[in-house]
Amino acid sequence: MQSIQKNIKNSDLLLEVNNLNVFFDTADGKIQAVKDVNLFINKGECLGIVGESGSGKTQTFFSITGLLSSNGYCNGSAIFKDFDLISASEDKKREYLGKSIGFIFQDPMTSLTPHMKIGEQLSEIATFHDNLSKSEALKRALNVLDIVKLPKSRNLINSYPHELSGGMKQRIMIAISLMCSPELIIADEPTTALDVTTQSEILNIFNDLQKGMGISIVLISHNIGVIAETSDRVMVMKGGKVVEKGSTFDVLTSPKDEYTKHLLSCIPPWLEG
Amino acid sequence: MIKFITKRLIIAIPTLLIIIAFGFIMMRVAPGGPFTNERALPPEIERNIQEAYNLNKPIYEQFFIYIKNLSVGDFGPSFKYKDFTVKELIISGLPVSATLGLSSIFISLILGSFLGIIAAIRKNTYFDYSIMGISLIGICVPSFVMAPILSLFFGLYLGLLPTSGWNGGNIFNLILPITALSLPQIAVISRMMRSSTIEVLNSNFIRTAKSKGLKSSYIIRKHVIRASILPIIEYLAPASAGLMTGSIIVEQIFGLPGIGRYFVVGALQRDYTLVSGVMILYASLLIILILITDILRAYLDPRVKI
Amino acid sequence: MNKQENIKAIEISKTLKGRSLWVDARRRLFLNKAAVISLFTLIIISIVSVFGPFFLQYNFSDTDWGSIYQPPSFETGHYLGTDGNGRDLLVRILHGGRLSLSIGLIATFVSVFIGVLYGTIAGFFGGKLDIFMMRIVEILYAMPYLIFVIILMVVFGRNIYFLFIAIGAVEWLTMARIVRGQTISLKEKEFIETSKALGQSNTLIIVKHIIPNLAGPIIVYITLMVPSVIILESFLSFLGLGVQEPLTSWGVLISEGSREMETAWWLLIFPGSFMVITLASLNFIGDGLRDAIDPKEY
Ligand SMILES: Nc1ncnc2c1ncn2[C@@H]1O[C@H](COP(=O)(O)OP(=O)(O)OP(=O)(O)O)[C@@H](O)[C@H]1O
Ligand SMILES: [Mg+2]
Repeated sequence: MQSIQKNIKNSDLLLEVNNLNVFFDTADGKIQAVKDVNLFINKGECLGIVGESGSGKTQTFFSITGLLSSNGYCNGSAIFKDFDLISASEDKKREYLGKSIGFIFQDPMTSLTPHMKIGEQLSEIATFHDNLSKSEALKRALNVLDIVKLPKSRNLINSYPHELSGGMKQRIMIAISLMCSPELIIADEPTTALDVTTQSEILNIFNDLQKGMGISIVLISHNIGVIAETSDRVMVMKGGKVVEKGSTFDVLTSPKDEYTKHLLSCIPPWLEG
Repeated sequence: MIKFITKRLIIAIPTLLIIIAFGFIMMRVAPGGPFTNERALPPEIERNIQEAYNLNKPIYEQFFIYIKNLSVGDFGPSFKYKDFTVKELIISGLPVSATLGLSSIFISLILGSFLGIIAAIRKNTYFDYSIMGISLIGICVPSFVMAPILSLFFGLYLGLLPTSGWNGGNIFNLILPITALSLPQIAVISRMMRSSTIEVLNSNFIRTAKSKGLKSSYIIRKHVIRASILPIIEYLAPASAGLMTGSIIVEQIFGLPGIGRYFVVGALQRDYTLVSGVMILYASLLIILILITDILRAYLDPRVKI
Repeated sequence: MNKQENIKAIEISKTLKGRSLWVDARRRLFLNKAAVISLFTLIIISIVSVFGPFFLQYNFSDTDWGSIYQPPSFETGHYLGTDGNGRDLLVRILHGGRLSLSIGLIATFVSVFIGVLYGTIAGFFGGKLDIFMMRIVEILYAMPYLIFVIILMVVFGRNIYFLFIAIGAVEWLTMARIVRGQTISLKEKEFIETSKALGQSNTLIIVKHIIPNLAGPIIVYITLMVPSVIILESFLSFLGLGVQEPLTSWGVLISEGSREMETAWWLLIFPGSFMVITLASLNFIGDGLRDAIDPKEY
């Protein structure tokens, strides 16, 4: 088992994180939010991250992409295609962010710039990374809107975030991450703020991206049901540590850790199996 | 847009009317005012006032006439300068005060916002500390302390700049007054801008912009400034009010023949017509500034409906 | 449970929560070095202003034509020099401080009183009354208020008591706004609802429940208001519209000093420094208080 996993890992490896620690300076001193996390993601694979609120899921991936708050810092390594994101300079990291790695944030309601038109928020990333002209970038934006099942309309391109519903904003966030055809998308609780129907529509989009376009996806959630539906492998976090990891099937059918068992006992029965 | 502006102007009218009524009533009830009986005035002024205010007509009609005159810019004759109307005095002081006021507001807005943004970006560096330290001086040293000290230091001790006089708007004569006038506003604006920029930099949408791999300078320009400048826009009217009162002091100290100077002289000599004329002028300016604030806010923040 | 017990329970829960909040805030305030130093400075300036003149050999109105424009010196006992009438500057600054500080306090008190009353009434009763009252505040906001004060001083004469009222009367607007906002949010809280359900009268609810809960914002606001009132008074006195001779205030002294700075710099620098130090201290205390009551992490 171990050797097979090693094999897969070496052939198709996209991102490998080793000994990652994240710290924050706070009024009450230094706290450690992420403790010695190791993980890897293969090409075209969906990795699910579960864990209760505050377990360090978000901060793990913020630190990898250099998006920690100003009072936070990290050590360890995060090798993305032979390139260490953590020790890289800001400039170098920028070439990968938005281009090869897309990030979808936990809170779609506040994650779009309120005073910029949707079209510009989509197109700026392509004008920046792929040197497209404004009109080319807008054309691409319209195509991407199609992928996330939004109408390809000029109207939408010209609207401001406050004119959209939560579900639409989340689709826009996904569209932003797709603008430069990334190899990896990190989706931080992309469905938590949404109603059940919209939730499953969004998950379908991710399924298409992974299966149809071969994009690797990190799906963060505290809903183990969502993970069960979409992920190939799962990683369970608690208190900043990884408590269990393995293929989704293994972890869900024979959990070893107490905490995972507890999480599983919370899923409604119709999602099991 | 035009509908929005008209609506705002209609709302502003009662405000202006109240201010005008205040000036009108003040002139009538004030002890030693132009319409009390115990006055002993030279006959020419007496006649001027009798004519200008239609004292024989009923009071509501007088008020009506007063407003009508104001609407064509007629503020009536001065109560103390017998050869001048208030309008003439205001017009003679306007170039001085407008030069001072406009240059100060531009300098304060641009320099204050700029310093605030840089301090926010370089938060907790020596640059930040020194900007905030200097701005603290600007806040704690009122203009009537700052102005004489500037004039003492740069004018008398160093002999670099003239300490008083208008001199036809010579730039060297303007440096000290404009500095004294702008410093407190630069201080306030840079602090406001710093804290609002820090708040915006910590917001989720800036994290999104960073996750796109955009250049920081681009993020600041496109994503940050329009959001973080909003409090400064709100502060436009109060800042201008501050400059108006500040200019009263500064004109006094640097011997500049502006509106503020006339206002003080008028106040000290109880020249009620002059004082209420200046008050109405300033109030109208502030109302226009509030209107500009509303328009700018709507332009900068699409969530505001116009 | 009867009515009395209910009310008692509400009181206790409120004071308990309130108390720990205040203990926390005080701890944070005393950790703030700038605020603590400023507090000391301010206390020293106040004590010296009030009691200092009794220990000095000169009276604030004693003229001495033999020693006009004396620079600061220890030998003559004019520690900060004398003015054009040979009066001792130090004793005049201390007297001026008494007046400036007390105008600051009294006018602030007046404006807090008006503002709290106005704001709670508007916020508590809401509806049309609220809209109307806030409209008035909005209208007054658009006035160039300092010019307003100057005119009030012109019309009603340069009387020092009137100065308190005139300043207080224009400074209450912001207070009223803050208090109204707080009242509206408090109104929804459970303990107010309960008191209402228990049939307490509106006045009683306002006085016993709403006003005590406004303490935080009011205290912070006072530290902002006192310096602005001191500045306002000095501004008026500087123009000759405020405090009149033989009384004196920092504004009057600065005004005299700026006229005579060419011959006697100390007449400007010392009163100016006293004032600036006081303003800076109040400013730091205000910042410290605000951070202590409502800590924000950056
Ligand atoms: N800027 C910060 N300063 C101090 N502590 C922080 C900061 N950001 C996050 N933390 C702490 O780091 C820990 C991990 O937070 P993280 O956001 O990764 O949780 P999460 O697993 O994503 O939770 P959720 O499911 O609620 O999103 C939390 O305990 C949080 O308090
Ligand atoms: Mg999270």
